[in-house]
Amino acid sequence: MEGLGLLYNGFVNSFTLVNLVACFAGALIGTIVGVLPGLGPTATMALMLPFTLKFGATTGLIMMTGVWYGAMYGGSTTSILVNIPGEAASVVTCLDGYQMCKKGRAGAALALVATGSFVAGTIGILGLQFFAPVLGNAALSFGPPEFLCFMIFAFVLLSNLSAEAPLKGALMIAFGLFLSTIGINPMDSYPRFTFGSEKLMLGIDFLPIAMGLFGIAEILSIALEKYVKPQINKIRFRDLYPSREEVRRSVYPTLRGSILGFFVGLLPGPCTVISTFVSYSLEKRLSKNPEEFGHGAVEGVVGPESANNSAVMGSMVPLLTLGIPFAAPSAIMLAGLRMHNVEPGPMLFTTHPDVFWTFIAAMYLGNIMLLVLNLPLVGAFAKIAVIRPQILMPIISLICLVGVYSVRNSIFDVWVMIVAGVVGLFLRKWKFPIAPFIIGVVLGPTTENSLRQTLMMFKGDVSLVGDRPVSLTLLALAAAFLAFKFAAPLFGKKFPLKIEEDSKL
Amino acid sequence: MGKAAIFRLATCFDFLMLVLGIVIAVIALGYGFGSFGRPGPGLYPFFLGVAIAVFALFILISELRSDNHKPILETEGAITLILMAATFALWIVAMPLLGYVIVTLLAAFAFCKIMLLEGWWKPLAVSGGTALFIYLLFDYWLYIDLPRGILG
Repeated sequence: MEGLGLLYNGFVNSFTLVNLVACFAGALIGTIVGVLPGLGPTATMALMLPFTLKFGATTGLIMMTGVWYGAMYGGSTTSILVNIPGEAASVVTCLDGYQMCKKGRAGAALALVATGSFVAGTIGILGLQFFAPVLGNAALSFGPPEFLCFMIFAFVLLSNLSAEAPLKGALMIAFGLFLSTIGINPMDSYPRFTFGSEKLMLGIDFLPIAMGLFGIAEILSIALEKYVKPQINKIRFRDLYPSREEVRRSVYPTLRGSILGFFVGLLPGPCTVISTFVSYSLEKRLSKNPEEFGHGAVEGVVGPESANNSAVMGSMVPLLTLGIPFAAPSAIMLAGLRMHNVEPGPMLFTTHPDVFWTFIAAMYLGNIMLLVLNLPLVGAFAKIAVIRPQILMPIISLICLVGVYSVRNSIFDVWVMIVAGVVGLFLRKWKFPIAPFIIGVVLGPTTENSLRQTLMMFKGDVSLVGDRPVSLTLLALAAAFLAFKFAAPLFGKKFPLKIEEDSKL
Repeated sequence: MGKAAIFRLATCFDFLMLVLGIVIAVIALGYGFGSFGRPGPGLYPFFLGVAIAVFALFILISELRSDNHKPILETEGAITLILMAATFALWIVAMPLLGYVIVTLLAAFAFCKIMLLEGWWKPLAVSGGTALFIYLLFDYWLYIDLPRGILG
């Protein structure tokens, strides 16, 4: 009952003009970003960070999450209509979505995806609403060893799931962790790697690095590509009605995708992308007509699209309850919350319960807004996909430049962003994943604190970790994962969950 | 940009990371390693440096053994990249002097031309619109005081 009361208060708080506008703006911008092949949700969220500073932490969080799951809604539009995924999590949707379009069922596919995304979003929010406080309470008993082991577990999975070559993922995590050590160490006020520079004393700010690696690198990457104008199929409102058979076939895949997506969202890595692949293969396996997959099977469209929406909510659980982001967008959110002096983690539910419950309530509202936006305006959103990057990219470039400068009035930050952008472009070309790096940067201070506190607690005897069941379980899981990963090729099996990180994560 | 140049660039990066890892570990030792029971400020970065060096070494070896050295940038792409980076750099250098509105207008125009937006009217309209949008967004809506340069 207490939860319902808190949720009611959340709705009261979210019904302020600023929160409603933030929710709508986030959902709208997210949908547009999802539709546009190019800029992804992570880049957009990094780009929007400076603008959230004007408002409170809750408003910023609402806006950013709106962008993230708005992009999941919007990403399907171009996948179905043009066979171009608007963002990485919609790649799978192209397989059957575009085939449905070729059969004249594009409208029905879009309507089912929008409805499925709404159902999945709602199930995801329900999951977040119930799981997060429970896990948050459990995490109150966690000490530094548990947090350290959680991070080791996350890093092992992240490096393996985010990159084609796990070593490249591991290198990026280690480099990100190192970058966070630059500046004065808060534990003993000792300046490290500053080389006498006053600018480096405060450390390297997260925002210019994130905007450079995700925003500027993406802009440069698009500038180097040849533009091919996409052909958009026209959609009329009356085309949006799916047949009774299509509705019947989409009910269970939607529910399965929603539940599966939420749990995949709890794992480290590009959860939204992984959830779509897992959902697609599950639906194909369960289908009575698996031969239809790849030729316009409605289950192959609604299942993955429901899964990626639900995964967004699932990935909010470790962020809000443990303060550990498992994906690049949630790392941006953590940075945003820290800019507002809100530290997510087990204490969030006691120190800032209003932030959590207002966020939950706003997500319910945002989900309804997205459904209302996406069904009637699908034709208009499809037209956005044909806006040329030669027009969009100059505008976005300059918003990045002025935006990052405006936060601290620092030219140094702008240089950092540009250097990070150019380096980021080459890292992508060489298949180094960016997400583990940025998560490493964000989690660096927490990892170091946990490591040092653990070592001091155990007086240097790390074998005492074995006395802590949670820590031991997490380390065992990480070791089992690595063992499976290395042993699978020996038995002639390919590791099934190798997802190459897309530039648009 | 030839294949050899790209091959060198990717390998140089791996080698640079290897050296960086070693340098980090050495510098970190100078900060004081302490002991496992009483860790010093250098303990954590020392292990990170070692990890970076080890990972970079393995990547470098696999890079050297790999036959796949596809060029990642053609000459045309390299020129576009250099021009884009130069425009970003010029914006940073000129913004405090000329003010953000003028520099934004010029940079947007330059970006349009670099990205081959044809004609003059479209680039002019995009750059004018961008400068106006940024002025309204930062000055009127967010009340952020940015350098106005010669516009005072």
